[in-house]
Amino acid sequence: MRISTDTLFNTGATRLGELQTSLAKTQEQISTGRRILAPSDDPIGAARALEVTQSQSINNQYATNRNIARNTLNVLEGTLASVTSLLQDVKTAVIASGNGSLTDNERGFQATALQSRLDELLGLANSRDSFGNYTFSGFQSNTQPFVQTLAGATYQGDSGQLSIQVDSTRQMAVNFSGQAVFQGGGQDIFQTLTDLVNLLNTPVVTPTDQANLTTGLATANSRLDRAMDNVLTVRASVGSRLQEIDSLSIAGDDRNLQYSQLLSEIQDLDYTEALTRLSQQQFTLEAAQRSFASISKLSLFNFI
Amino acid sequence: MASNILGIGQSALTAAQVGLNVTGHNIANASTPGYTRQVVVQGAAMAQDFGYGFMGQGTEVSTVKRVYNEYLSTQVRSAQTTKSGMDSYYSHISQIDNMLADPTSGLSPVLQEFFNSMQDLASNPTLMPARQAALSSAESLAARFKSISSRLDEMSQGVNGQIVSSVSDINTFAAQIAQLNDAIGRAQRATGQPPNDLLDQRDQLVLDLGKQIQATVVKQGEGDYNVFIGNGQPLVVGTKTYTIFNVSSPTNPEKIEVAYKASNGSTVIVGEAGLSGGRLGGLLEFRSKTLEPAQNALGRVAIGLGTAFNSQHQLGFDLNGVAGGNFFNVPAPVVSASGNNTGNGVLGATISSVNALSTSDYQVSYDGTNYTVTRLSDNVSSTYASLPQTVDGVDINLASGTPLAGDIFLVRPTVRGASQMDVAITDPFQIAAAAQAGATGDNRNALLLVGLQTAKTLGNGTATFQGAFSQLVSQVGNKTRELELTSSASAKLVTELTSSLQAESGVNLDEEATNLLRYQQAYQAAAKSMQIAGELFDLLLTIGR
Repeated sequence: MRISTDTLFNTGATRLGELQTSLAKTQEQISTGRRILAPSDDPIGAARALEVTQSQSINNQYATNRNIARNTLNVLEGTLASVTSLLQDVKTAVIASGNGSLTDNERGFQATALQSRLDELLGLANSRDSFGNYTFSGFQSNTQPFVQTLAGATYQGDSGQLSIQVDSTRQMAVNFSGQAVFQGGGQDIFQTLTDLVNLLNTPVVTPTDQANLTTGLATANSRLDRAMDNVLTVRASVGSRLQEIDSLSIAGDDRNLQYSQLLSEIQDLDYTEALTRLSQQQFTLEAAQRSFASISKLSLFNFI
Repeated sequence: MASNILGIGQSALTAAQVGLNVTGHNIANASTPGYTRQVVVQGAAMAQDFGYGFMGQGTEVSTVKRVYNEYLSTQVRSAQTTKSGMDSYYSHISQIDNMLADPTSGLSPVLQEFFNSMQDLASNPTLMPARQAALSSAESLAARFKSISSRLDEMSQGVNGQIVSSVSDINTFAAQIAQLNDAIGRAQRATGQPPNDLLDQRDQLVLDLGKQIQATVVKQGEGDYNVFIGNGQPLVVGTKTYTIFNVSSPTNPEKIEVAYKASNGSTVIVGEAGLSGGRLGGLLEFRSKTLEPAQNALGRVAIGLGTAFNSQHQLGFDLNGVAGGNFFNVPAPVVSASGNNTGNGVLGATISSVNALSTSDYQVSYDGTNYTVTRLSDNVSSTYASLPQTVDGVDINLASGTPLAGDIFLVRPTVRGASQMDVAITDPFQIAAAAQAGATGDNRNALLLVGLQTAKTLGNGTATFQGAFSQLVSQVGNKTRELELTSSASAKLVTELTSSLQAESGVNLDEEATNLLRYQQAYQAAAKSMQIAGELFDLLLTIGR
């Protein structure tokens, strides 16, 4: 077959160009560590990588959300622990007040001590989080939940519960309304304490007074028990939520790892394969360059 | 007798000189594009009867012809047209491919960041920094939609410019072909010999024309090339040129179209269906099959996100206890009437269902009694006796005036979706996170807003916002890959066909070197025979002395 001199040079140049292009591409893959440099390298993989990236991003956001939920619940648990220990102190005081040898004056001291306990409890019930929001006012986070009255305290908040998305299908409530904590189970703690202070401030003169004091203290005692039960129920529920967050976190971290692996499988370069390919392409290019250089030197004109 | 030898020698000397000239010409043009090698056609001169037999009278050169294969040339040209079309489509689509490839500049990171910051807001509904962050990330989302969209707009302007330059190239080639038709015809009539180099030039021009647009060449009369493009629209007939030119699309002034003057003087726009192949065909195909759908697909994500977000946002209450308003300003469909309409009808369009939205544009035509709405992506049309009508989630109505028969409108529901998306609220207080008025710590509506990230809101319930964007990425990626493969296959075909053509018509320098030796020796031998004739004559003269 005839071959034109022009074809000889064109073919050589084109082939060298092609080899250089594929070598450059391999080099870019190696320097970026990415198998997919543009969606056209693997259209399905590129689209899947975007979906997986979104799933991973959402999963990471759930982890952030869980941390917020965990912190909020921990603070809540701390407040409730203070409430429990306060109620226990009050209970001890009630039992001490039952001592028949106490004078009116001495009961008056007890009443004063209990009054400050009541103020302390109100302080806990009206506590705010680090951003200045009231913990126990439901959705009314700017409204002070409890306002003291002569008979105890009235609740100003609502029954709303702030839910946080802690997993794809789980929204977890991270607060409790003040009503549920302090006035739940048919017991208003503030009223119980106010009644108790009033009782201890009442002088005992007649046997009827003595009987009223004994009955009043017994009633206060049983009311305190129920109030404590109520708070403990709320604490138990907080504890189980914290546990649930821990197990969700373990599952979430696992998923994160899976997403990372999946992304790596889709996008990342197999270095062994790529480096082998690189040396293969280098070898071919060098061979092509050498052969082209020697073939293009052949000419009859060299001899005439 | 001796004079006869001199005559024969003279003819041989001339033939060898012609041979050396042609060989030199071939060597000189070994790498001239479109050059076909030339050969000397040489034959023995008519012999003379001397009674004792016929005596040869030497040699004569009848012509110099080019070694040309019309069949292979046509094949090369047609393969080249296909290749140029694919190359031009490929070089443009790979820009979009590369733009979507960048993991940091695409839509996905800002989309995810937006929903993440909404999650942070949902976890801390009263926290001002969280609200501000949500608002800022909404603004960067809108800005990203805009920047991707403006890149696509720039490409669209670039395509317009290239269409203009391609049309100008086509006209230039057409004029040159017509001139060569004239020159070749005159040369042939004057000499009766083929003007080989002019023929080569004309064939090269036809090949160059084929790189711009698919053209049909019909040979006519004394060898004129008549050239037709598109659906038989003449470009060159004999020595006359019919130019094509650019006009703005009647329904979209930003879009440059290709047109020609019909015999009745009216301007006829040649659609992309009529102009395939070549750089121009590739540009038109890229614009209609990739660029416009990409802009629309991006717009659909923006409109879908904005609309779904707004609907949910309006169900909630902001930090001031006021019912939520629009979170995003969602751009409306673009409707334009053709500049050629005779009626004064004005159409309007609104989006009634983002879920049903497609990524296509629609043409509405009125024939005097019925409206025909054609979805331009697949040319599916439906006919209605009256408006308003709902097509793919778009309500099309007659806003004012009366259309007349033959009026045409273009409805582009999503084209400006990305470029004109904005955040409607400016105050972080206005984010309606609560489901209940006045409940500052209420995050229930925020949770529902966040839920939209994974809801399948688009494509008739098949795609999330991210999913619809991934679809665009994969469509562009697939088409780019397809073009990469087919254009390299067509490049191979062009190379092979060109090699075959060159094998026959191209110059081989070793062969020419051989010819040089051949004609040099022929020249020397002819000279030698003349020298001998001279010596013989001298001998005769000596005898007479």
